[in-house]
Amino acid sequence: PGHRRAGSAAGAAAAPRYGVVVTGGGHAGTEAAAAAARGGARTLLLTHKIGTIGEMSCNPSFGGIGKGHLLRELDALDGLCGRVCDRSGVHYKVLNRCKGPAVWGLRAQIDRGRYKENMQKEILNTPLLTVHEASVEDLLLTEPEPDHPGKCQVTGVVLGDGSTIHAGSVILTTGTFLRGMVLIGLEMHPAGRLGDQPAIGLAQTLEKLGFTVGRLKTGTPPRLAKDTIDFSGLEERAADNPPVPFSFLSEAVWIKPEDQLSCYLTRTTLKAQQIIRDNLHLNNHIRETTRGPRYCPSLESKVLRFPNREHQVWLEPEGLESNVIYPQGMSMTLPPELQEQVIKSIPGLEKAKMLQPGYGVQYDFLDPRQLAASLESRLVQRLFFAGQINGTTGYEEAAAQGVIAGINACLRVHGKPPFIVSRTEGYVGVLIDDLTTLGTSEPYRMFTSRVEFRMSLRPDNADARLTHRGFEEAGCVSQQRYEQARKMRAALEDGIATLKSLQFSISRWSQLIPEVPISSSRRSPASAFDILQYPEANMEVLARAVPEPLGKLAQWRELAERLKIEATYEWCVVNQQQEIEEVRRDEALRLPEDLDYFAIDASLSAEVREKLDSNRPQTIGAVSRIPGITPAAIVNLLRFVKTNHQKTEKLKALPQTGKYLPGKMYSEKATSQRQISAEFSEEEPESTFVKTPL
Amino acid sequence: MALRRALSAAGRRWAQRLCSAARGDTIFAVSSGHGRCGVAVIRTSGPGSRGALQSLTGRPELPPPRILALRRIRDPATAEPLDRGLVVWFPGPRSFTGEDCAELHVHGGPAVVSGVLRALGRLPGLRPAEPGEFTRRAFRRGKLDLTAAEGLGDLIRAETEAQRRQALRQMEGELGRLYQRWSETLTQALAHLEAYIDFSEDDNVEEEVLSQVDATVRALEQEIGAHLRDGRRGELLRGGVRAVIAGPPNVGKSSLLNLLCQRPAAIVSPVAGTTRDVVEVALNVGGYPLVLSDTAGLRDATDPVEQEGVSRARDRLRQADLVLAVLDAAAVPTEPAGLGAALGSLLPPATPCILVLNKADLLRGGGGALRDACARGDPLPPATLLSCKTGEGLNHLLELLARQLARLCGDPLAGSPSLTQSRHSLHLGDCAAALARYGRERRRDLGLAAERLRLARRHLGRITGHVGAEDVLDIIFRDFCVGK
Repeated sequence: PGHRRAGSAAGAAAAPRYGVVVTGGGHAGTEAAAAAARGGARTLLLTHKIGTIGEMSCNPSFGGIGKGHLLRELDALDGLCGRVCDRSGVHYKVLNRCKGPAVWGLRAQIDRGRYKENMQKEILNTPLLTVHEASVEDLLLTEPEPDHPGKCQVTGVVLGDGSTIHAGSVILTTGTFLRGMVLIGLEMHPAGRLGDQPAIGLAQTLEKLGFTVGRLKTGTPPRLAKDTIDFSGLEERAADNPPVPFSFLSEAVWIKPEDQLSCYLTRTTLKAQQIIRDNLHLNNHIRETTRGPRYCPSLESKVLRFPNREHQVWLEPEGLESNVIYPQGMSMTLPPELQEQVIKSIPGLEKAKMLQPGYGVQYDFLDPRQLAASLESRLVQRLFFAGQINGTTGYEEAAAQGVIAGINACLRVHGKPPFIVSRTEGYVGVLIDDLTTLGTSEPYRMFTSRVEFRMSLRPDNADARLTHRGFEEAGCVSQQRYEQARKMRAALEDGIATLKSLQFSISRWSQLIPEVPISSSRRSPASAFDILQYPEANMEVLARAVPEPLGKLAQWRELAERLKIEATYEWCVVNQQQEIEEVRRDEALRLPEDLDYFAIDASLSAEVREKLDSNRPQTIGAVSRIPGITPAAIVNLLRFVKTNHQKTEKLKALPQTGKYLPGKMYSEKATSQRQISAEFSEEEPESTFVKTPL
Repeated sequence: MALRRALSAAGRRWAQRLCSAARGDTIFAVSSGHGRCGVAVIRTSGPGSRGALQSLTGRPELPPPRILALRRIRDPATAEPLDRGLVVWFPGPRSFTGEDCAELHVHGGPAVVSGVLRALGRLPGLRPAEPGEFTRRAFRRGKLDLTAAEGLGDLIRAETEAQRRQALRQMEGELGRLYQRWSETLTQALAHLEAYIDFSEDDNVEEEVLSQVDATVRALEQEIGAHLRDGRRGELLRGGVRAVIAGPPNVGKSSLLNLLCQRPAAIVSPVAGTTRDVVEVALNVGGYPLVLSDTAGLRDATDPVEQEGVSRARDRLRQADLVLAVLDAAAVPTEPAGLGAALGSLLPPATPCILVLNKADLLRGGGGALRDACARGDPLPPATLLSCKTGEGLNHLLELLARQLARLCGDPLAGSPSLTQSRHSLHLGDCAAALARYGRERRRDLGLAAERLRLARRHLGRITGHVGAEDVLDIIFRDFCVGK
């Protein structure tokens, strides 16, 4: 076949060879390339333009609720964007401050120019990582390896000029560029992003290989000139002081707290609604049926679905020196002159100048159920996918997949087992499991509500969950970060042990810290860790009352804060531990990846076989999350796993997840945990946590 | 009274200590037949088995492993005696599941069984087993060999199917509608709270959403609490295997009912479509409880009253544990394949069935071919020729019926109302407890409060069905205009 170009002897002899080749320089591509290089693979990053590496194509912000969790996790794996954000932000704010640390959303407005500059600096200075400007048109393929699923394997890429590059693994992170189409009003032209060419040859190659392709849409708002906006009547939102950094490595962010910029809030009026309603016939993007995100809707769809009300518009700065304002909430695809009318109907924007119109993008994505949890495709060996091409939306979702794909592409080259983050270990695990098990019909965004073990998977403990594994199994974490995480973990364990061993009677505690309203019906004695659970208590209060041995714990501010959080969630985390272990046991029961569900000799209905075949679950755990799979089918599959025990044995030994589960911290050190958790529920016996349904 | 309270508090603490000493949860279920059987066996598996046995027998020492011992069984919460029965202690790994197991052989009456189940459910760390859970645990510990596991899927399918039918029956009535309403209320409250967590600051999810959730949760908690305290427990469910007589009009279904209950319970006439509503009688066949329903003949009726009757008949069929399919012997194909097809068009798939070929007295030449087809069985279900008029074939039918009932009653889950009721009240109790805790956590940490709602939702989901993250997101995007 035409795309099998590996046979050309002349090309093969002259072609350069890399461990990992990454196509695409967006958030997924940069993280993937850097992670592969950190892991020790000679890596090549191919992008249309080096100048657009680190481009933030849409909103000038990173993080948020759920997304902040992802950022923390990819930082714990030594990913780039957390660190780069700490050097590029102009407005840092922790969302959900009053709702509890498990759902805090670290977020920042980012200076676009600085981010790009800092990201390019990182990428261009990463050892083992080379960057070339080129487009990828085709893949080099050869016979598949016998021990893996897949009908062929990739051995390299063919560039736009016809030259070839050989690679041990290839990662595609083409974002919205696969048959990308930009829409403004009734106009439509091929582009991945306004002004950039789409990838069509590659889209054809993937389709020829038999990948199932779907189509999604997204959009971006117009941009406004800051000096034409009247901020005087608008609601101001100031940044946090002090700002909280994203990275576990950053002591502080680069900007002085007082130099941070503010955001402003304004609202649409009924006039805007009128303009949109009157001109629906001029709006192709809205009329099309392609699925867009439910949660990041265009102003048009907001007005249509929730009529006759004001809709929020946040005016966000794009940079310290930039004159551009990003009106979040105003994504539109109307013809530009009508967009201007809508803009001028909004308070504060009456005289605003539109620098660039909003537009919609429609693009191809690949059904992510065609991927393993390592993000390697099941169809073509050694070919990995990450980012929007897998049906996600958002920088953080893309970057998180990039890190995982980069790590696994590198491990694959080194012949090592894949690095899988379980749903019980991280948001990134939930993200990838949801995608690869259930697929998606709209751009997938991270929400905390998707996460079963939200109390355990917190922004504060991402390092405790992932850094050790990243260092030991993936080799993608620097020695410095590893040491730091180890130190913190040891300090936390010691701190918790110290707090638990410090026991006084309730009346003594009430004397020592009268500001904490300790219930007199609680069982005596209570440990300092129990007392720390009270909302009014913190390490400072405790240390004032009992300077020895608590004084030194309270002095280390970060440790003190983390101890307080551990105390707050101890009950919940310990109780969820059992459920977590249940999920993990099911995840350890792996199904062979090349299983032919229509042929296997197990008592399964045709409907169940079809579901299993299209979802291709990798573990019994994943099977149980597919809607409509019966307990009987699960047991029949279990039997199958057992019959094929020999074959799955070596696979089963691979993932080492769970060693660093947050709950383990308590169970190993503290013997009295059960009593404590029972005691905390003073009035009635503790209800048991229900395990996930069979 | 005070003494009793003190005793019960002490008992609870003791039970708590006993059961929480080990890790992992412990499951329990009735593992014998139901109904008026002499002895019911209740089995537990998991680390809490030891504590459960100690609490229920009120003795710290366990009987020697794998040896039956006679014990007084009491409710540890109230110290109330429940029964005197035999108990067995199977320390792991030498047990059915490989875990610590205990068995309580108690008197089979529904009151005793549900009393013991309720007492077990109140122990910390114990919960009712899910379908197939005992076998799954055994599987995990390598306690089932492959031949044993072979039939496992089918077994669990049968269990699940029985539970589905049972759930369907309960969801029909008042009680079902009540549970369904609670489920919707709770799911919406959870979705709104999740929306408040995931969106409020950037978007239009207002503070007042939260106070609405608070009020909803408070009201729901009170309502469930009141329901649990209500001794009547809603509808009374009648025990027994639910058998439905079904078939085309005028084949003698009502005559069969009257014959079986030996009284004219249903009106019979030569006019097709006489029976409009469902007629129900309780019988005892071979010692097994049986609730027999006569239904309207299945045909495309034009009369609205008959249409309703046919639709009720079809509802009953879907919920049936056993179907007595009646056909006119003189009007059916005589070869098995044709008979099977006639039957297949009548029945929901996978329901146990007995084929009754009525009006045998009208057959010319004794109906030799039909008799052969009935005797051969496969692919037909157990079948018999019968004449309701002469009574010929009745003994054979009763024999078949008793055999089917024995099989069905051996299935511990088929239609046992006491078991279902105690399951329901356990889950509702846990749900209400989680809702109560929501109120307390609300002031401390919204994440923890949401966790309580999720837990409450999961408990209720054990009765009304699982609700996933996508369902919650659907409500969020339906009710709020969120996004950038």
